[in-house]
Amino acid sequence: MIEFRDVTVIYDNDIIGLENVSFKINDGDFVFLVGKTGAGKSSAVKLITGEIKPYTGDVIVNGVTVNTLKKRKLPYLRRSVGVVFQDFRLLPNKTVYENVAFAMEVVRAKKREIRRKVPMILSLVGLSDRAKNYPNELSGGEQQRVCIARALVNSPAIVVADEPTGNLDMETAEEIMRLLMEINRMGTTIVMVTHSTKIVDDAHRRVIQLESGVVVRDEKEGGYNSDVLV
Amino acid sequence: MYSFKTAMSSLGRNAVMTAASVVTIACCLFLFGVFLLFAFNINYIGEQISSQCEIQAFIEDTVSSGGEERILKEISALPNVKYAEFESKEQAFENYKKELGSEYSENFSSLDGSDILRSSVKITPEDLTRTGELEEAAAKVRGVARVVNREDIIRRVVSVTDVIKIGSLIAMLILLITAVFIIQNTIKLSVHAREDEIHIMKFVGATDGFIRRPFVLEGVIVGIIGAMAAIIVIAFGYNAAVGQAAEFLDLFELYSFSQLAIPVCGGLLLFGIIMGNVGSRTAIRRHLKV
Repeated sequence: MIEFRDVTVIYDNDIIGLENVSFKINDGDFVFLVGKTGAGKSSAVKLITGEIKPYTGDVIVNGVTVNTLKKRKLPYLRRSVGVVFQDFRLLPNKTVYENVAFAMEVVRAKKREIRRKVPMILSLVGLSDRAKNYPNELSGGEQQRVCIARALVNSPAIVVADEPTGNLDMETAEEIMRLLMEINRMGTTIVMVTHSTKIVDDAHRRVIQLESGVVVRDEKEGGYNSDVLV
Repeated sequence: MYSFKTAMSSLGRNAVMTAASVVTIACCLFLFGVFLLFAFNINYIGEQISSQCEIQAFIEDTVSSGGEERILKEISALPNVKYAEFESKEQAFENYKKELGSEYSENFSSLDGSDILRSSVKITPEDLTRTGELEEAAAKVRGVARVVNREDIIRRVVSVTDVIKIGSLIAMLILLITAVFIIQNTIKLSVHAREDEIHIMKFVGATDGFIRRPFVLEGVIVGIIGAMAAIIVIAFGYNAAVGQAAEFLDLFELYSFSQLAIPVCGGLLLFGIIMGNVGSRTAIRRHLKV
């Protein structure tokens, strides 16, 4: 569960990232965060992952109030939030298997657990046969699937995908969407930032639209553009 | 195990920079070690000079041998007396002749030593900076004719050794700070090469300690190898240098390397470890703020 309560973000240069934003995302939801560049989508994502703290208000993720969370506790919160990046951020000197296993190694998972879980996740994202390949031997879609596998491998309750289809063609983007929908069906909450009208329109899922740091629309089964404003 | 493997592979990947850092750290620690040895020996020489700078209480000619014993006892019991020794007129005369050497001592062959010099008590003070009080107290002992205090020499020796010690300390501090910067830059290169990895680790929930550990280990390894190289050069070079210096400093004794091996080797290794630790921690600090 993610909850924003009257959240305002002000950056060092006095630029307002978010202003009195409130919304609640329940467990198992699939939510699109849409809006123009600078609307506050990245600020919302950074608040969920604990990268920044709100100026005022509360951000609650999986029952933890992120803004009052001690720095040393932050890693444990992050283990419950998987992040998918637009630019994949895979380690070029590690194979697909090693990239995914790495996410488990750094949280000190047992070797046996790593050997059991990584092939399972690679199978889920359809990359079992690419386990020994390096990222530069993969297509963009495959790289993004590795990134999703890495985000999922520690069984997070929430996956935050920051424009995961931004660097992909429409066909591959739709593949990635199908995968994210599948993951959501298995119970993982998905928060996805996107600029793709087609993806949002096709998905018929909840849409939170931000403009200049303010929520202007929160629609249960919305499209990318809508006349319904809050 | 993960930290050690990562640190070793990182050192191997930046082999040239690692080697350059080890050499520079070794040079810094070598100079540090030289200053350390210098400071130890200056202190030692200072002690030797100071021990020769005794206070001498001359005894009146009329005092009997029993009185001389009493004076020695009374002086020995005074505060700040490390050691007190009686010197008879005859001993003083013999010592004087020895100091002058055989060339001149022949001129005194016809003289009777007991008539020329006074018997005295030679006092070695505990604290060289408080000899004035001791001089006053010794002068008050019944039967003491005069007290000679070479305080000016003592003070000069103490102040010169103090200046040298402070100078060495400052030089050592500068060298240590330089070495920390060198290690910091080596680790910064490693951090830069693994920036994406660190970023991913932060996002998947690795603790700061876990992320930091391989870098700290890397810095400490560089520090230890640098320190060991410096120790080897110092161990071989020191005794040879002392041998050469002994020709010019025949009045004083210098420490042998074996006498200083534990503090010097221990100190260099300890500083190598501390510098590696501090340098790497400061290098990675900014990258952990995600």
